Amino acid sequence: MRLEILLVMGLFFGGTFLSGHAVCHVVKVKGEGVCFPVLVGTMAWWALMEVLLVPMTMMHRSFGGFVVVYSGLLLLMVAGGLWWGRKVIRKELTEVFREAKEYLTFGHVVAMLLIGYQLYFLHHHMYLEWDDTYYVNLANEAVHSNRIYWVYPETGAFADFDKRYVLSLWPVFYAWLSKIFGVMPTIMAHTILPWVVVPLAYMVYGLIGERLFVRERELQGMFLAFVVLLHLFMSGEHTTGLTFLSITPWVGKGVLATVLIPMLFYCMMRVAKRDKKGEWMLLGLTGLGGCLLSSMGIMLTPVFVGGTICLLAWYKREFRYLLRGAAACLPCLLLGCYYLYLTR
Amino acid sequence: MQDFFEIARTDFAAAFEGAWMFPVLLFSVLWILLKERDKLKKLLLCGVPALFLFLYWCPFTGILFMKLLGQNVYWRLLWLILLAVVIPYAACMILKELSVVQRQVAFVVMMAGLAFCGKNVLSPEWFEPSTNVYKLPQNVIEVCELLPGNIHALVSNRLMPYIRQCDPTITLEYGRNALVYNSITNTDIEGQVLYLEAQKPEIDLAVLAPLAKEQGCTFLVLSSSRTYLGAWEDYGYQEYASTDEFCIFVDQDYKEGQDTRKWEE
Repeated sequence: MRLEILLVMGLFFGGTFLSGHAVCHVVKVKGEGVCFPVLVGTMAWWALMEVLLVPMTMMHRSFGGFVVVYSGLLLLMVAGGLWWGRKVIRKELTEVFREAKEYLTFGHVVAMLLIGYQLYFLHHHMYLEWDDTYYVNLANEAVHSNRIYWVYPETGAFADFDKRYVLSLWPVFYAWLSKIFGVMPTIMAHTILPWVVVPLAYMVYGLIGERLFVRERELQGMFLAFVVLLHLFMSGEHTTGLTFLSITPWVGKGVLATVLIPMLFYCMMRVAKRDKKGEWMLLGLTGLGGCLLSSMGIMLTPVFVGGTICLLAWYKREFRYLLRGAAACLPCLLLGCYYLYLTR
Repeated sequence: MQDFFEIARTDFAAAFEGAWMFPVLLFSVLWILLKERDKLKKLLLCGVPALFLFLYWCPFTGILFMKLLGQNVYWRLLWLILLAVVIPYAACMILKELSVVQRQVAFVVMMAGLAFCGKNVLSPEWFEPSTNVYKLPQNVIEVCELLPGNIHALVSNRLMPYIRQCDPTITLEYGRNALVYNSITNTDIEGQVLYLEAQKPEIDLAVLAPLAKEQGCTFLVLSSSRTYLGAWEDYGYQEYASTDEFCIFVDQDYKEGQDTRKWEE
C-alpha cells in the first residue's frame, strides 16, 4: 500500500502544483512558493469537478465518461501549468531550496514531528464512521456500477436520488482517484486519503502563518506547531471541526472544516491586502470548490465570506468590497438557491 | 425562541465539552484585542470570531441559520470560528515579546498547557488498531471472504454498515433506514416482519425463511448466538459457512457463481 500512497500523493500534489500555476497565470496572481500553487490547484480541481459533476449526474452520464472528461481537462490544466509556469516554477523551486534552511526552526521541527506522529497513528488505526455506509459506498458504487449516484449506496438494491447530496458529491473525487490507480474506494478513503488531506490542511495553516508573521520564520514554525497540536488536542468528538482531520479526513465535511474554511480565511487575508480581480477570482474558485465537499459548504461559504466581507468593507470604508464579495460567492449562492429548491 | 436557545446551548456545550478550549479562545481574542497594533489583523482575528459567535447566539440570525442548515447540524456554524488560527496567533504574540531562549522554553510550556486544556483526539476511546487495509472490523472481512460475489443478502445489523464497503457486488436487503423498524411492535408488512424476525434471539424459521426467499435473499448472515425454531433444510436453506461470530446460510436453489443481486427501479 506504500507504493499506492506515494503514487497518489505524487499525482495529487504534483498535479495540483502545476494546475495551480496555470490558474495563477490566468488570473494574474503570483504563484509564490510551493504550497500556494498546490492549494490553488486543489481548489481548481474541486471547482472543475463540481462544474462537471452536477450536470453529468443530472443527465445520467456514466462514471467512466466522467473520468475521461475530467482527467482530460485536468491534463490540459497541468500542461498549461507546465507551459506558462516553466520559468516561474524553476525560479520558485530554486528559491525554496535556497531558503530551505530557514525552515529548520525549533517550531517547524516540532510541527513536522507532530504531523508525522498524526499520520503514523492514523495509518495504523481505524475510526469506524457510521456515515461511511452511505458516502464510501457511493464511491464504491460509482466505480463498481459505473453510475454516478443513482444507486442507493447502502443496499445497492434500488435507484435513489437523495436531493440533499446531489450538488456535493465529494466521494466521486476519491472514486476518480480509485479508478485512476485501480484501488478500491474504501481503501482509497480510509488508508490513502489521509496522506493527502492532512498535509493539505497544514499547508493552508502554513500559508496563514506566513501572512501573519512575515519573514519571522521561527514564529511561523511555532504557529504551525500550535495549529497541529490543536488538531490533536481538542474538545468535542464530532462537533469542533478540527477533530475531523484525525477521525474522518476522507469525509467531505471534514475536508470542509479543516481545509476549505481555513482556505477561505486565507483568501480573505489576501483580498484584504491586495484588492485585485485575480484575488477575488481565487476566492470565488475556493467557494465553488467548497460546494463539492458538502452541502454545508454551499451554505457556510457565503455566510463566512459574507460576514467577513461586511467587516472588511466597514473597516476599509469601501462599498465595492461587498459587491466583489457577493460576486465571488455567486456560484455558491446559485447552488444554494438550487439546493433549497430541491430540498423544500 | 426557547427552543432556539436550548438547541444553541446544547450544541455549544457539545462542541466545547471535556476541554478548556472555549476559555482559551476567549483569552486569545482578548489578548489580540489588547496587544495587536495592526488593525487589519485585529479585525480578522478578533472581529471575525466575535461576529460568528454573535451570529450563533443571536436568535434572529440563529433561527434563520437553523432553517438553512438544519436544526440537527446547527453546531456547524461554530466551524466558522477559526480556533486553530486565533489561539496559535495569540500564543505566538506572547512568544514574540520574549528573548530567543525564553521563547523556546515558553513555547514548550505553552504547548504542554494547550495539550492539557484539550482532549486527546488520537485516543483509544475513538480509535482502534487497524487489522486490515480496508480499515473495517475484522469480523466483516472474515464474512466477506466466505461470501461469493454478486449475491443478495440479509445480514446482521452488526455487519450491515460495513459489508458493502468490503464487497460492493453484494446487495443488501436492508440499509440503515431499516433501523426505524426496531420501534415497531405490530406489523403485517412483509419487509418489516422479516427484519423484526431476524433481530430476535430465537428466530422462528417458519416466519423468517419463506419471507427471505420471497425477497430474494440468497444468503443470510446471522449472529452465531441466535437459536432457531425449526430446521433450515425444511425451509429451503442450508448452512454455508461460519465464523467465530456469524453463521452463513444459503438458499438451496443457489448455484455457484449465480448472480442473485436485487435491483428495484
